[in-house]
Amino acid sequence: MDKSFREPIRFKWIWVVLAIITLAGVPWYLPQGTIYPIILGFPYWAFISVVSTIVLAVFMTYVINNYWDMESLVEQDEEGGQDK
Amino acid sequence: MSEVKFIGWHGLVVLVLYAVFIMATCIYLSARQTRKDSLKSFYIGGGGLGAMLLFFTLYATQYSGNTVVGYAPAAYRTGYAYFQSIPFFIMVIVGYLLFAPRLHVLAKKHNFVTPSDWLQKRFESKAVTLLGTILMAYGLSNYLLEQLVAMGHAISGLTAGFIPYFYGVIFLVIIMFIYEWLGGMKAVAIADTINGIALMIGVVSLMFLSLRYFGSLGEAAQFIVNEAPKKIGVPALETSINWISIYILVGVGAAVYPHAIQRIYAAKSEKVLKKSLSRMAWMPFITSGMVFIIGIIGIKAFPGLDKAQSEKLIGMVANVIASKSALNYWMMMILYTGIIGAIMSTTDSVILALSSLISNDIYGRFVKPGASEKDKVLWGKIVGICIVLLLLIIAWKPPATLYEIFVLKFEILIQVAPAFLLGLYWKKLNKNGVLLGMIIGAVVASGMTFAGVKTFHGVHGGVIGLAINMAICILISLAVPSSKDEEKKAEEIISLNA
Repeated sequence: MDKSFREPIRFKWIWVVLAIITLAGVPWYLPQGTIYPIILGFPYWAFISVVSTIVLAVFMTYVINNYWDMESLVEQDEEGGQDK
Repeated sequence: MSEVKFIGWHGLVVLVLYAVFIMATCIYLSARQTRKDSLKSFYIGGGGLGAMLLFFTLYATQYSGNTVVGYAPAAYRTGYAYFQSIPFFIMVIVGYLLFAPRLHVLAKKHNFVTPSDWLQKRFESKAVTLLGTILMAYGLSNYLLEQLVAMGHAISGLTAGFIPYFYGVIFLVIIMFIYEWLGGMKAVAIADTINGIALMIGVVSLMFLSLRYFGSLGEAAQFIVNEAPKKIGVPALETSINWISIYILVGVGAAVYPHAIQRIYAAKSEKVLKKSLSRMAWMPFITSGMVFIIGIIGIKAFPGLDKAQSEKLIGMVANVIASKSALNYWMMMILYTGIIGAIMSTTDSVILALSSLISNDIYGRFVKPGASEKDKVLWGKIVGICIVLLLLIIAWKPPATLYEIFVLKFEILIQVAPAFLLGLYWKKLNKNGVLLGMIIGAVVASGMTFAGVKTFHGVHGGVIGLAINMAICILISLAVPSSKDEEKKAEEIISLNA
């Protein structure tokens, strides 16, 4: 198999990192009803969500660009198949 | 929506000009390139969509008019916990990452046109293909019905009731049918590009004008602390569980929408698909993110609205902005046109996907297996029109009973996910497991909806159905294994080697 071949689902660490980023953005671990400090119009817990969402988008962009390369295996991909 | 005091004929002129512009552009750019005697050319643009068209068709199809009209009121009622509407759109991209890389390669290798092509190829079972196709067509029809109703409300909002709900929808549906009939997927992608740009301009300008006229997010936060602290405090644990459940429901559900899968097939190359999806990961910030801010600002600007009143929030915001200057008035016209465009772009994609399931799978596999491609495409178009007409009648006069039948969408669609998520990687997954899993998953999810139990401890019926479905797929495939020959065949099908 070509060394540059990469399929995201095969990298377990990607899914662990995704789970951590995602779960960090949901306030299940914070005391209910707390609000302060308010940062840029967001209560602190929603601000954590904002940061985690930005990190999620950055990470997704990184993974798509660096850990998804099936074309090296299937050279004909670019040309598409024949009509059905 | 009906709160904006637009002058009726202004809205009418804008709507007609916009619709005719889209139709003419689509026909001019796509009709000659699209072959009506080829399923692949008609339904997935010959598998040759480039980066710009693919990105905009993904964007405009995923974000519907409801993202603006429905999400702002939801943020108004829920408060800051509705921030989830931004990451959950990124979760759709995460959902794609689970299967799109491999499916794209296999679709090119085996010439897939519809999601059912994969089911048939992988499981070689008429029962699996038929049930999967019916679940997808059923979920899509309800999704379409919802879009048609939303379209009617948006049109009567834009034209201040000048155009009755029903005639407005008929007019836009005819426009969509004309360009789809002539240009197929290519036409839909071009229309989506125009509609996507109109939506972006509309939402971005609405947010900035809202900040200008109703005050900053910080001021709104201070107001909410004093007047509605529940909307700004850390929510209850059940809300957080519900939040995670939504990630699964939307992340997996929206990624396996038939029209979403067909866009994986339609991508010209892996590079194009990667480019479009990585851009899509950022779109929630300038779409649902801005709508979220408008909803939060609305809590301070229009305090104390009940559920029904809050549904008109976007109309109220737009009305105040439009009354400030002539420029604002026309900006709000663009917003409303963008909302209608967003609904159109979702609707046309759903109609095309539905029509492809009917033509390629129901007609081509079960009604007349030897039919020519030209015959299949024509049949799909005609039955597609009949279904839309039927849905229009239902949208016009909604039935008083059994309303739940028309509500099921994600819950049902998501039940085909294991056939993709497991079927693409695990050679032992077999038709018995998939069939039984789909049936029980769909029964559990729809049963909960019929019983009026939307969630169980915060987890959605569709997600519970999916979990049971997955478990059955695995257990049955292990308990009643396929023959060695069948396993070997499955291995060859999912193999990436050309």
